[in-house]
Amino acid sequence: MPLAFAALCPIWGMWRRKACFPWSLLGVAITSFLVWSLIGKVNASKVVAYNVSGWRPPWGIQIRIDYMGLLMACLITGVGLMLLIYSWRYIVSEIKEERIPYYYTLYLLIFTAMLGFSITSDLFNFFVFMEIFSITSYALVAISGERMALRAAFKYLLMGAISSLTVLFAIAFLYSATGSLNMLDISSRLKSTAYLPVASVALILFIAAFAVKSALFPVHVWLPDAHSIAPSPVSALLSALVIKMGVLGIFRILFTVYGHSFSGLSSTWNSIAGVVAWAAALSIILGSVMAIIQRDLKIMIAYSSVSQIGYILLGITLISTRGMAGGLYNIVAHAMGKACLFLVAGIFIYKHGLRRIENLRGIGRTMPVTAGAFALAALSIVGVPPSAGFVAKWYILWGCFQEGQYAFVIVVLLGSLLSAVYCFRVVYYMFFTGAGRPGVGLDEAPFTMLAPTAILSVGTLFFGIFATLLLPSLNNAARVLLLK
Amino acid sequence: MSKIVHSVLPAIIMAVPWLAIPGAVLWGKKRPGAAKAVYVGCTAATFLLITTMYPRAMDGVVSVQHLVEVAPGINLAFRVDTLGFYFAILLSVIWLLTTVYSLGYIRTRETRYYCFTAINLSFCLGVAFSANMFTLFVFYELMSLFTYPLIIHEETEIARRAGLKYLVYTITAGAVILAALIMQYYYGGTLSFLGHGTLNSETISKPVLLIIFSVYMLGFGVKACIMPLHGWVPDAHPAAPSPTSALLSGVILKVGAFGIIRVLFDVFGIKLLGDLGVALPMLWVASFTIIVASLFAITQNDLKRRLAYSSVAQVSYIILGLFLLSPDGAIGGLLQIAHHAFMKGTLFLCAGIIIHETGKRDIREMNGIGSKLPITMLAFSVAALGMMGTPLTCGFITKWELGLGSIQAHRPYFIAVLLLSALLNAVYFLPIIYIAFFKGDPMDKLLKHETSRTMMVPVIIGAAFVVILGIFVTVPGLPYSLVKIVVKALF
Amino acid sequence: MNFSRMFHNLNYVVSALLFLMGLYTVVVKPNLIKKLIGLNIMETSVFLFIVSIGMVEGGEAPIVAEGVKSSQMVNPIPQALILTGIVVAVSTTAVALSLCLKIHERYGTLNAAEILGRGEP
Repeated sequence: MPLAFAALCPIWGMWRRKACFPWSLLGVAITSFLVWSLIGKVNASKVVAYNVSGWRPPWGIQIRIDYMGLLMACLITGVGLMLLIYSWRYIVSEIKEERIPYYYTLYLLIFTAMLGFSITSDLFNFFVFMEIFSITSYALVAISGERMALRAAFKYLLMGAISSLTVLFAIAFLYSATGSLNMLDISSRLKSTAYLPVASVALILFIAAFAVKSALFPVHVWLPDAHSIAPSPVSALLSALVIKMGVLGIFRILFTVYGHSFSGLSSTWNSIAGVVAWAAALSIILGSVMAIIQRDLKIMIAYSSVSQIGYILLGITLISTRGMAGGLYNIVAHAMGKACLFLVAGIFIYKHGLRRIENLRGIGRTMPVTAGAFALAALSIVGVPPSAGFVAKWYILWGCFQEGQYAFVIVVLLGSLLSAVYCFRVVYYMFFTGAGRPGVGLDEAPFTMLAPTAILSVGTLFFGIFATLLLPSLNNAARVLLLK
Repeated sequence: MSKIVHSVLPAIIMAVPWLAIPGAVLWGKKRPGAAKAVYVGCTAATFLLITTMYPRAMDGVVSVQHLVEVAPGINLAFRVDTLGFYFAILLSVIWLLTTVYSLGYIRTRETRYYCFTAINLSFCLGVAFSANMFTLFVFYELMSLFTYPLIIHEETEIARRAGLKYLVYTITAGAVILAALIMQYYYGGTLSFLGHGTLNSETISKPVLLIIFSVYMLGFGVKACIMPLHGWVPDAHPAAPSPTSALLSGVILKVGAFGIIRVLFDVFGIKLLGDLGVALPMLWVASFTIIVASLFAITQNDLKRRLAYSSVAQVSYIILGLFLLSPDGAIGGLLQIAHHAFMKGTLFLCAGIIIHETGKRDIREMNGIGSKLPITMLAFSVAALGMMGTPLTCGFITKWELGLGSIQAHRPYFIAVLLLSALLNAVYFLPIIYIAFFKGDPMDKLLKHETSRTMMVPVIIGAAFVVILGIFVTVPGLPYSLVKIVVKALF
Repeated sequence: MNFSRMFHNLNYVVSALLFLMGLYTVVVKPNLIKKLIGLNIMETSVFLFIVSIGMVEGGEAPIVAEGVKSSQMVNPIPQALILTGIVVAVSTTAVALSLCLKIHERYGTLNAAEILGRGEP
C-alpha cells in the first residue's frame, strides 16, 4: 500500500516546475493515470492508506483513500484533464500573454490541492489543502484583471477567508477537546470525551464554514459573481469541482469525524443535518428561481450550481442510504454536466463574444455540436431520463420516501421543473429561433475545445445509462456510513 | 402462462428510424430526393420489421430483451406482448401514412422535421415495447420533449405560444409521473410488466394505493387529455403542421392512453382497481370529458381547433372503455385506439390539404370547397361519418363494443353518454360537410384542383381503412383479432 | 452565569471575542484595507487560541533533554500548526493586498460601496 501511494508522490512536486501547457498536461495525465490505477485497489480492500514519513497515526500525517476520496479523486482528475485540454486554446483569448504561465501554475496547484483535500485523513492537512485551493481560486477568478473580476475575486476572498478561519477555529476546538488531528482518531476519541459542548460548537462552526465554501443558500452570494466572471474553464473548474470540496468537507465532518450513530451528540448532529437539509431545499428552489430571471448565460449557469449543490446536500443529509447514494451520484452528474455547460458558454464567448441568452438565437444551426452538447448536459441538469442527473434525482426521491420526508419530494420535483424552465429557455433560443439567416454555414469551435465539451456531455448520458458502474458501491458506502 | 422468447428484434426496430437522420442531415440541402427516399424507406422498413413479429403476437408469445441495468433493480428492457405489438404496428402504419403525406406538405426546414419525426417514431416504439414502467417513462419523456420541435415547426408566434404551453404541461406531467413511479417502486418493489398487477392490497395500505393511482392518472392524463388536463391540446394541434397534428392526435395522445392502460393492467391489475373503487370516478371524468369537449368543439370555427377538441373527446372513449373493467368494454377501448387514429388522422390530413390548397382554416369560409377538392372532402366525409358512429364504419364498431361493455359492467347508463356524444359529433361534423358540398359559392367553383399525389394517397388509404375496419371487422390481423387476444389474456 | 468557569476557560472567551471583533470589522467597514485588517484580527484570534490550548502551566520547550519530563513539555503540535497557519494567513493577506492594489488601479478607490456602485463598466 505505501508503494502504491509512493507512486503518487510526483503530484506533490509537479506544481513547482515551470508551467506551460504540454508540461501541465503531462502532469495531469500521469496523475490521472495513477489515480485511476488505484480504483481496483480501493474497491478490493476498501481503503488505501499511506503514512507520510513513516509515523503511525495519530502522530504522523496519514493519507487515506476511502471510497469517497477515490470518487472525488477520479472526478477531479477526469474533469480536470478535460478542462485543461480545453483551456489550451481558450485561455489565450481571455487573459494576457504573459499571464498564461501563471494560469497553468495555478491550475496545477488547485488540482493538486483538491486531490490532497480529498484523500487526506489529517484535519490540519485538510485545512492546509483547503487554503491552497481557496487562495488559488481567488487568484484564478481575478486572473483576467478586469474590473468586475477583481471585485468578484475580492468578495469571494473575504467570504472564503472567513470560512477558512472558521474551519481552523473549529479544528482548534476539536483538538482541544480530543487532542488529536487524525480524523479517525478524533472520531474514536469523541466517543469518550468529556468536552461535548466544545465538540458540538466545533461541529456547528465546521458546517457553517463549509456551507460558505459549497455556496449553500444563505451564504451563496459570492458564487454567481465569481463563477460567471472567471474565464470559462475556471468557472467550470470552480462549479464542477471546487464547490464540491465544500460538500466533501461537510460530508467528512458529518460522517467521518462525527459519525451518525455517535450518541453523545446525536441531538445536535440530527438538528444540524436537518438544518442543512432545509437550507439545501431552499437552495434548490431559490437557486433555480434566480437562474430563471438571469439574462446572462454564465450567471444563469452559476445560479443553477447553487440549486444543484442543494440536491447533493439534500441527498446526503437525508440520512437514508438511497438518498445519500443519490446525493453522491449527483456529485458526478453535476460535475460533468455543469463543466460542460460552462465550457459551452465559453465557446460562445470565444467565437462570438456572446454572453446574453437572447443573443444566442439560431446558434444551434451554425454550431450544432456545441449547442447539442449543451442540450445534452442540460437534460442531465434537469434530470430527464436517461441521464446521470435523472439517476441522482431518482435516488434522492427514493431517500425522501425512505425517510418519509414528503415535503422534500415536492421540493425535488419542483426544483426539476424550475430547472427545466431555465435550461430549455436556452435550448429554445439556440435551436428554435433566429431562422432564415441564409448563407451561414457550419462554424464550429476548434477541436481541442469541442472534444472535451462533447466528451463531458456524452459522459452525462453514459453515467445515466450505465449507472450500475457506480451505484452499488455508492450504496455500500452509504450503508457503511449510516450503519444501516 | 404465456411463452417467453428472447429477441433482439425490438431493439433493431427501434434503431431503424435513426438511420433516417444521416440521410436527412447529409443530403437535406443538396439532394432532397435522396433524403426523402431514405426517410420514407426507414419508416417503411420499420413497419415491415414490425410485421415480422405478427405470428408471435397472434400466439400470445412474449419477446423479451434485457438492455442494460441502469441501477440495481431498475432496468431498461423490452418486452413485446400482444398489446405492445398492437400499439407498435398501429403507430408505424399511421407514421408511414403521415410520412408520405409530409413529403408533399412540409416545404420548410425539412431536415429538422424529418429528423425529429424519425426520432419520435423510435421513442414511441420504445414506449410500446417497454418491459417495465421505468423504460416506458424514459421513452415517454424523450418522446414528449422531442415532439416540441414538431409542434413549433412553423416558428410563428402562435406556434411558439402553443409550444410553450405544451412544454409546461408535459414537463410538469413528467415530474408527476416520476413521483408516481418512485412511489410504485418504493411500495411495490418492482416496476416490471408481468401481464397482471404487481401492486397488492395486502402489503400496501389503501390510501397509498389511491395516491399512487391518482398521481399516475394526473401524469398520464395530460397526454391522454383528460379534462381538465387537456389545455395544451386545442393550441398545439392547430399550431402544428397538419401531418404533425395527425400524429399528435393519432398516436401521441394515445401514448398517454397507453400509459394509462399499462397502469391499469400491469401495475394495479383489474381486480385491485375494482376493489379500490376508482373505476366509477374515472368513468364519470371520462364521460364529462366526452360531453364537454364535444360541446367546446361545436363552438370552434377554426377547423383544426374543432378537430382537436374532438380528439379530446374521443380519447376519453378509450378511458371510458377501459374503466368499465369488463371484457367488451376493454375491447371497445382498445379498438378505439386504432379506429380513432385512422379517423382523426384522415381528418387532420384532409384539413392539411384544405389549408395547403386554399389557405383557409375558418369553417365559415369553406363554402363549396367540396366541388374544388372533391376527393379530399369525400375522404373527410367518410372519416366524419365514422366519428359519428355510422354503421359500416369503424366508429360504429367501437361504440357497439363500448355499449356492450357498459351493459356487461352493469352500468348501462353510459350508453346514454355514447349516444349523446354521437349526436354532438353529428352537430359539429355535419355542418362542415354541408358547407363543403351544398353551400355553393360561385367564386370557388371555378377551379377543380386536387392536390399532389403524395398527399392524396395517404388520405385515401386512411379513409379506406375507416370503412374496411368497419366492415371486415374479424379478419385476422386487423385490430379486432389482436385486441381479442389481449383481452382474453386479461379477463 | 458561572463566572469562575468562564475565567477558567478564559482563552476560549477571549479568542471568540477577538474573532467576533474581526468579523464585525470585515462586515461593517467599507474600506477594503480595513476589512483585511479585520480578517487578520480573526486570524490572530484563532492562532492565539491554538497556542493557548497547548500550554502547560510552567512548561518547558519540547526538546528532549536531560531532566525534562515529557509531562512538563508544552505540547508541540499546536505550535507547529500555528507556523503553518501563519504561512497560510500571510499568503491569503498577500493575495488580498495585491487584489486591493489592482482594484485601486482600476476603480481609483478602496471604498466597497463606491466599487459596488460602479459595478457595470
